[in-house]
Amino acid sequence: MSILADSFRVAWIDLAFIKRNILVVLVTSLVTPALYIVAFGYGFGSGAEVEGFEYIAFMIPGVISISTMTSCFNNVAQKVMVQRTYYRSFDELFLCSMKPLSVILGKSWAGMIRSIISCTVLYAIGLIITKDMQFSLQAVAVILLSCLTYALMGVVAGMMSNSHLTLNLFTTLVITPMSFLSGTIFSLEALPEIAQGILYVLPLSHTTECIRSTILGTEFPWISLAITLVYAVAFVLVSRHLVMKGRNRYG
Amino acid sequence: MDNIVEVRDLVVRFGDFTAVNGISFDVREGEIFGFLGPNGAGKTTSIRTITTIQKYDSGSISIGGHNIRTDYLEARKLIGIAQQNISLDKDLTVRQNLKHHAILHKIPRKDIDRVVEETAHILELDDYMDHKVMNLSGGWKRKASIICAIIHQPKILLLDEPTAGLDTRSRYMLWDLVRMLNARGTTIFLTTHYIEEAEALCNRVAIIDHGKIVTKGTVDELRDSIGRITVDTTSDDGKRRMEYFPDIATAKEFAHTLGDRLYNIRRTTLEDVFLEVTGDKEGA
Repeated sequence: MSILADSFRVAWIDLAFIKRNILVVLVTSLVTPALYIVAFGYGFGSGAEVEGFEYIAFMIPGVISISTMTSCFNNVAQKVMVQRTYYRSFDELFLCSMKPLSVILGKSWAGMIRSIISCTVLYAIGLIITKDMQFSLQAVAVILLSCLTYALMGVVAGMMSNSHLTLNLFTTLVITPMSFLSGTIFSLEALPEIAQGILYVLPLSHTTECIRSTILGTEFPWISLAITLVYAVAFVLVSRHLVMKGRNRYG
Repeated sequence: MDNIVEVRDLVVRFGDFTAVNGISFDVREGEIFGFLGPNGAGKTTSIRTITTIQKYDSGSISIGGHNIRTDYLEARKLIGIAQQNISLDKDLTVRQNLKHHAILHKIPRKDIDRVVEETAHILELDDYMDHKVMNLSGGWKRKASIICAIIHQPKILLLDEPTAGLDTRSRYMLWDLVRMLNARGTTIFLTTHYIEEAEALCNRVAIIDHGKIVTKGTVDELRDSIGRITVDTTSDDGKRRMEYFPDIATAKEFAHTLGDRLYNIRRTTLEDVFLEVTGDKEGA
């Protein structure tokens, strides 16, 4: 309980920034997903059907999934890297008797909040424009899990990067390809089996499966949920290891 | 006076490089203790190690009686630190940054606003509370960062190069702040490479060079250790040369032996001590 309470103490300043700049946060979080919906949903995929659903209903859960990743990852990784490398304020959190897990979670919350804002708007738009999508609490739960997973991935990347350049490299080589290739805007079944096998290693393939199935009401992919949880735990362990050993300090 | 910091035989290595090489010193409760040394001497590594941010290879450190290896959580409660880099959130106001530090240090929620206002008022930051940090001058940014570091009323405040890169006016403002905090009971441990800063502020000084403490004591003790009076002259090859003497009479005796050469007899300064003990007395 104290870990959770302390994590909100860490997050307070980032949340204060969001509160103060809510309009800017909203606009920057929504422009890219809106472009996906207009360009792919109405432009490219208009009238098409995928896996038995109209294309717009198929892709909006995918775009929500992309948003959970990019919004969380970019915000958290950038913040951690800058605070650690340029401001050196990351170290000071440990002087406030914070446990590493509180710091890791605390740095994740702000990214999660931004992502939840954009996912809520996208989900609401989807519910209005297509009848194939439905509201479900399970969808809310897997969206939250997805946000947490990618925020934790952001902490790992932020701890490993020592400059904007290395962080951009990570984004270019990992995040951007994953956004397009994880079955977000097309069905993975359209790809050769070997490609499907490779792409199923990526966490976004699994969070997309979970989010899509809960929103469209198809059979829930329990294996994907398990794999997402494994990724989340792995990111916690790696980021804790980086905080403890990589920065060469006490707990 | 009790020691609030006790450092014994501290060694910190980064691979093959030994940044801190067996230093020992105490900081007494209520004093301003200065760590004076050139860039790369091991000052920042020492301060990061004492604040538990950096691990060490051997030796021991205790803060307020708490060994920082075994009891770091208790030790940390006694520490406030303002690092060389200003670590405030520059997009937010001074008030929000102060409030965040109060929250991080678990000051009860009902007391936070009062503590923030009082601290800012006592330390004369009221007029800048609603300014974004990014819009402040270097001196005020540094002042805000120091005030954030003492919001939880630590017993000891560690300042890493608090006036590095600041103009003279800002430097004097921060010196006043350091004196004010000390007068209010906070022990101060500061690192600096400005000799005049150590001379102006510190009760005691340790001079560190190449990771080792080469001398320590009060400014008077350090002056006495090499000689209170300096004869400042030039050698045959044109280089500046200093000779130190215990009193004016012996200094004058020596000066008479210089013949036609120009010389200046003056009080020994901390700069003379620094140059003498770091083996650089002809390089000034």
